[in-house]
Amino acid sequence: MTDRPDPRPAGGGLGDQPLRRWFDLRLDEVRVWDALAPGPSLDVVQTRLSSAPQAFLADAVSLVALAGDVLAGAPDHVRASAAAIAAEAQPDPASRQGAALALWLWASDELLEPFDPPLDARWAHSSIGALAFRLAPVAPPRRWLSDDDTREEAARLFLLWSGRLPAGEDVPTARARWERRDSLARDAALRELVADEEHRRRIQAALAEKRAAEAAARYSHE
Amino acid sequence: MSEADARISDPAAPRSATEPIADIVLPHYVPGSTVALSDEERWPGLAPHDRDRLEAVLAHPAAPVWRHRVGHRLAADGVARARTELPADDWLPGHLAVARALPAYRALRGSDDAGLRELDDFPLISRRDLAADVAGFVPRDADLGRLVQGSSSGSTGAALLLPDDTEDVARTFWLVRRLLAGLGVDWQPDARRLALALVVHQRQAFTYASPIPGFAGDVVTDADAAGPHAPGAAAAGPGIMARLNLDARDWPVADRVAFLRAHDPQVISGNPSSLATLLEPDTAAAVAPLAIVSGALHLTAPLRAALEARFGVPVLDLYGLHETRPIAWRADDGPFRVLDTRVRVEVADDAGRMLAPDAEGATPRGELVVTAGSNPLLPLVRYRTGDHGRLVLRDGAPAIADLEGREHVDFVTADGAPINTVDLTQYLQDAGALAWSLTQRLDGSVLARIAGGDAPAAARRIHALLGVPVEVDAVPRPIDLGEGKPRRYLREG
Repeated sequence: MTDRPDPRPAGGGLGDQPLRRWFDLRLDEVRVWDALAPGPSLDVVQTRLSSAPQAFLADAVSLVALAGDVLAGAPDHVRASAAAIAAEAQPDPASRQGAALALWLWASDELLEPFDPPLDARWAHSSIGALAFRLAPVAPPRRWLSDDDTREEAARLFLLWSGRLPAGEDVPTARARWERRDSLARDAALRELVADEEHRRRIQAALAEKRAAEAAARYSHE
Repeated sequence: MSEADARISDPAAPRSATEPIADIVLPHYVPGSTVALSDEERWPGLAPHDRDRLEAVLAHPAAPVWRHRVGHRLAADGVARARTELPADDWLPGHLAVARALPAYRALRGSDDAGLRELDDFPLISRRDLAADVAGFVPRDADLGRLVQGSSSGSTGAALLLPDDTEDVARTFWLVRRLLAGLGVDWQPDARRLALALVVHQRQAFTYASPIPGFAGDVVTDADAAGPHAPGAAAAGPGIMARLNLDARDWPVADRVAFLRAHDPQVISGNPSSLATLLEPDTAAAVAPLAIVSGALHLTAPLRAALEARFGVPVLDLYGLHETRPIAWRADDGPFRVLDTRVRVEVADDAGRMLAPDAEGATPRGELVVTAGSNPLLPLVRYRTGDHGRLVLRDGAPAIADLEGREHVDFVTADGAPINTVDLTQYLQDAGALAWSLTQRLDGSVLARIAGGDAPAAARRIHALLGVPVEVDAVPRPIDLGEGKPRRYLREG
């Protein structure tokens, strides 16, 4: 975990960080599992991630323009949401690359060949938001291309927030496998550990204070 | 120097030519060395009249050297909460929920808390766990404004710093008062008397006086006008408690007697060796308590009998650990009744396996394991006390029989057979011993240091049981066995 950038600002809390934007989208991470339809195989999604054109990852790419092109056929509210996400992701390199890779997956449906079974464009914005704000802050998108586990994590997250199960998996299986890969869950645990440590330091300091050392009047022996 | 500091006397300036000067003054016992608060913080909202009463106790000509200035720290709302017992109906599930979330259990509970659902899922913890990570046992949402330092010396090892909760500490007073009321003791505030004397017997000790939160005029009734120590009607005012050191090296006996006679404490609380000092004739004649409370150490049956005979009042024996708060009580020599507060007692064998009670609620003998929810800053689940005993039912409720302290060991006979020291306790008590310290040496022989009673008779029976040489060292008083918590039984090896 030490090789990951820390999305947390110093002093705890999420502050104005990419992860904050994910929670601001107010997507329900529990109920999403009840809404899934059969989807393409995990391998297909991972292979397409690996074959992402460098142009999508370039610093100079305009996410809003890219989203407009890729999602030209999507419903209006999806395009509007995707544009807002793209605009927010643009300034942050990890989020920008994460959003761009999500857009590449959607674009590949036309540029390479359609996913089978097909994706549903009504889910496009949530899948872009998930890769940009939920995964990219804790697992840099360059690693999605170089590291098998992280690539699988990205592919599973993309399918989940596209409303699709990996081919051949039922919900319990997909969920268990996702939870094993989920960097954020593991990072949240880390965050809890950090909070525990802060708590311990606070208690030790309180116990050591001269005010605490004066103790309180007692009434019996124990 | 502030007014508060000025009132704490200087140990280097003896009040009389006959008073010994402390030869060793530990840093913490230098008067005022731990003073950090103002009086308003110690006793929020203390009325001028109440302050006068406190100052009168502090300024008494025969008062001890006050080594500490300490209060209850509670404002009116905190006092009201401290006077109210925490509800104990079905308290365990909520307690386990609090414990489950403790940082100390993070690795055990798993991502969905599945690891620690029921009491049986919780591992045994011990003093060592608290020593290593006491802060991990404090809830993350605890009110640190109520945290004060508690110190538990235990029988071995370094003192352990514990987070005490000011309201919980004060609540203990009201618990003691309720238990005494159940024994028929009508303990009402009486401004002419010290409400409580907490007595110790140590070379050096913290001494202080403080109003007892909430124990004031609104519960005053007429005192017993017939008693020689309580003529006339009770006066309204705050109940004051004082922590007093009965060691003559620290407080001349003449001063002790004069102070106690003047302030006539209603209730006297202490450990057995300091309570034994009360039996000294001049001291005993100076006090007329409503009740006596013993804690911290084993109160032997002969010492209880001596206190009851001398003062003619109930002697409440309270069993508890600083870590857990009060656990059980008795007012006779029967089993300790487990309190009806947020405390639960179980028994574990030497391997740490829980021993289930049988149909009669009884368990075999083992280590007492306590789940305690009185102190909100230190909710404990399955804490190994280090003390031994067995659970029985007393009047249909759980009680602890054959309670032995954490020094519990088996002695061995000349043939190498183990002998439970409970048997030795029986012999010593039958011989009238007030206290003792028995050491079985590597060669099997026993050194028996015995305070009071018929020491040779006790030694003869110990010799008959063990079949090993028994050397007797009879001492006059329990305190002569040593300060603090002298081991009652020790086996070398």
